[in-house]
Amino acid sequence: MELNYEFMVRTFGLLLQAIPVTLKLTAVTLLLATPFAFLLALARIYAVPYAAKFASAYISVMRGIPMVLQILLVYSLLPSLLNYLFKQAGIAYNIFDLDTIWYAYIIFTFSEIAVLSEVFRSALGSVGDGQIEAGLSVGMNRRTIYWRILIPQALVTALPSLCNVTVTLIKNTSLAFMMAVQDITATGKIAASYGYNYVEAYLDVFLVYIIVCSLVQIAFRISEKHLGRFRHTSQISG
Amino acid sequence: MRPFEPQLIPQYFAEVFPYLSVTLGVTVSVIFFGSLLGGLIAWGKISGGRVIRSLATGYTYILRCTPSIVLLFLVFYGLPKFFLEAFDYDINGLSRAVFVIISFTLLYAASSSEVMRAAYLSVNHGQYEAAVSIGLSPVTALRRIVLPQAAVVALPNFGNSVLNLMKEGSLAYTIGLVDLLGEGNLIISRQYGGSALEVYIAVGLVYLGLALLITRSVLLLEQKLLPQKTRPERGRT
Repeated sequence: MELNYEFMVRTFGLLLQAIPVTLKLTAVTLLLATPFAFLLALARIYAVPYAAKFASAYISVMRGIPMVLQILLVYSLLPSLLNYLFKQAGIAYNIFDLDTIWYAYIIFTFSEIAVLSEVFRSALGSVGDGQIEAGLSVGMNRRTIYWRILIPQALVTALPSLCNVTVTLIKNTSLAFMMAVQDITATGKIAASYGYNYVEAYLDVFLVYIIVCSLVQIAFRISEKHLGRFRHTSQISG
Repeated sequence: MRPFEPQLIPQYFAEVFPYLSVTLGVTVSVIFFGSLLGGLIAWGKISGGRVIRSLATGYTYILRCTPSIVLLFLVFYGLPKFFLEAFDYDINGLSRAVFVIISFTLLYAASSSEVMRAAYLSVNHGQYEAAVSIGLSPVTALRRIVLPQAAVVALPNFGNSVLNLMKEGSLAYTIGLVDLLGEGNLIISRQYGGSALEVYIAVGLVYLGLALLITRSVLLLEQKLLPQKTRPERGRT
């Protein structure tokens, strides 16, 4: 197939410059979603009245609605709603000046809360109850037990799933082009339509995503090895 | 700001609902072709030689890193160009559904091959040996002993991949397929962008219903098949 290689090389360079945007979208979303996801997970583990019900309803709704639809829904509603509210409240700020990446953060965070809470729930459940009892027996309070005993161990168990979640999120952020965020896909799309070099541009985008996802997976594998050291030592001594 | 009119939602719901058949048609075709290709890849990973195994693993790895939208665009723009230059044959006139089915088959094959491989490996190899030792042919042993047990293990993951496929399939509107979301967008553009919220809520309700249906039926099926799975363990104790 006849491909414009010179264009491909040039676009590849442009796409590399867009990697930080994709990574920023991913990282900020994960950071924003984590505390809420943790609370939802706790609500379900301890079967907190109402909160547990809300958590499972929230998770199944988020699991059932396609990401594109969530984006279309929020992106068609939120800016004008905020504009209306700001006008009512007499705030002079023009909401349409706001960087659209904020809408992307909000939408991805809402769906990631549901995904992460399931990961946290199963990871926290994987640490034996005996550990909590042991902690209580030496006089720790629950918060210390969580911070010092439970979470560090659960985090290591959760790392493979977190890797999966992160890779899926990186792929999902490719939809941010719908909100005019200049990530990898959006940059490729613009380059493609410039000279109708669609195939070349999307091949580049395809390659860049493989590189990014590979690097993320390698990073997770290294941290798993590093943080999971205690497992091996305990196996040897035990 | 235009007022929100929830009373319009049922009307839009009725308008988009018939297009469920398009979404379902695409989903079912992808499950069919994707399972065939996925089975082939899983087989390559389990019992292929070194070259086939690394090809199969490489395929899964690469597809796992590819956003659906990127593959969709690549297939949509790349395939006609490839056919035109390689065989001098114009496939631009083909239905959009064909491109959607091809892209998602490629993606679904990768995830379903992993589901199948894990399920196959979860069945103890001794089961197969025992079946062959009492005189079943290898094919019968696979068909009657290993696969039924593997199917039960695969069920929850299968349900998950189908759910994901159905959701990702909504991206098809970006290349102009008129499915649930495609029709929703058409309705909105016919009204010059009006009622967007109501239409999207209606479309969302259809998807939500579909998702609940899939989740429920997988759970039911699992419960139906589970007693068979636990019976020998009960006998042992």
